[in-house]
Amino acid sequence: MRNKIKVFRAMHDLTQEDLAQAIGVTRQTILAIEKGKYVPSLDLAFRISRRFSVNIEEVFQYDDAHLSIDID
Amino acid sequence: MKKNTFYLVVGCIALALLAIFWYSVEVHHPFIIEPSFIVAILIIYLIRKKVTDFIEDERTTRITEQASLRTFQVFWVVFCALSIGAVMQILYVPTFPRASVPVRPPELLGPRMMGYFQLGLLCLMIFLYVGFRIYYARKYGEWETDAE
Repeated sequence: MRNKIKVFRAMHDLTQEDLAQAIGVTRQTILAIEKGKYVPSLDLAFRISRRFSVNIEEVFQYDDAHLSIDID
Repeated sequence: MKKNTFYLVVGCIALALLAIFWYSVEVHHPFIIEPSFIVAILIIYLIRKKVTDFIEDERTTRITEQASLRTFQVFWVVFCALSIGAVMQILYVPTFPRASVPVRPPELLGPRMMGYFQLGLLCLMIFLYVGFRIYYARKYGEWETDAE
């Protein structure tokens, strides 16, 4: 799962701490999501995208490399 | 209540428990320490709810869940494997006892050995939990740093 949280944060001039406080998580969680160490739940993903007033797909993209279904 | 105050209270409770434990050893009465331990844990849980500056989110909860689950998975296998040995003592029935050989079940765990056995299991559980917690905290980016 890839995400553009860092980009949206820069666009909205938000620090990790600001975003974390706005959505009720720790700064470490935002950092872990940005670095791809932690995949957020759907609920948290929605909260993040709502904070940036965009659709969830604009912030989070499912990496096709992780698809395990072979399409022939 | 602040986090530091909570840790101080936990320290005091731990010291009190240690004193009660040694008193139980002196009077050789385990029923003093056992309910005390349960009450102490209940008090800690109740006080923890009153701490205001603990921030828990889904990632920290997931670390705790994963560490607990893995600890339980390993622990129950070890516990069952060792307990089967103890159950053998209960179920020991010689099928063809010889008249010349005295019939008695094998002494696997004496009362003193049972204490060491329990201590070993307790240490195993603690080490497993701490180990898994460190592993999952690292996996989910607990100690990641970012120059911002």
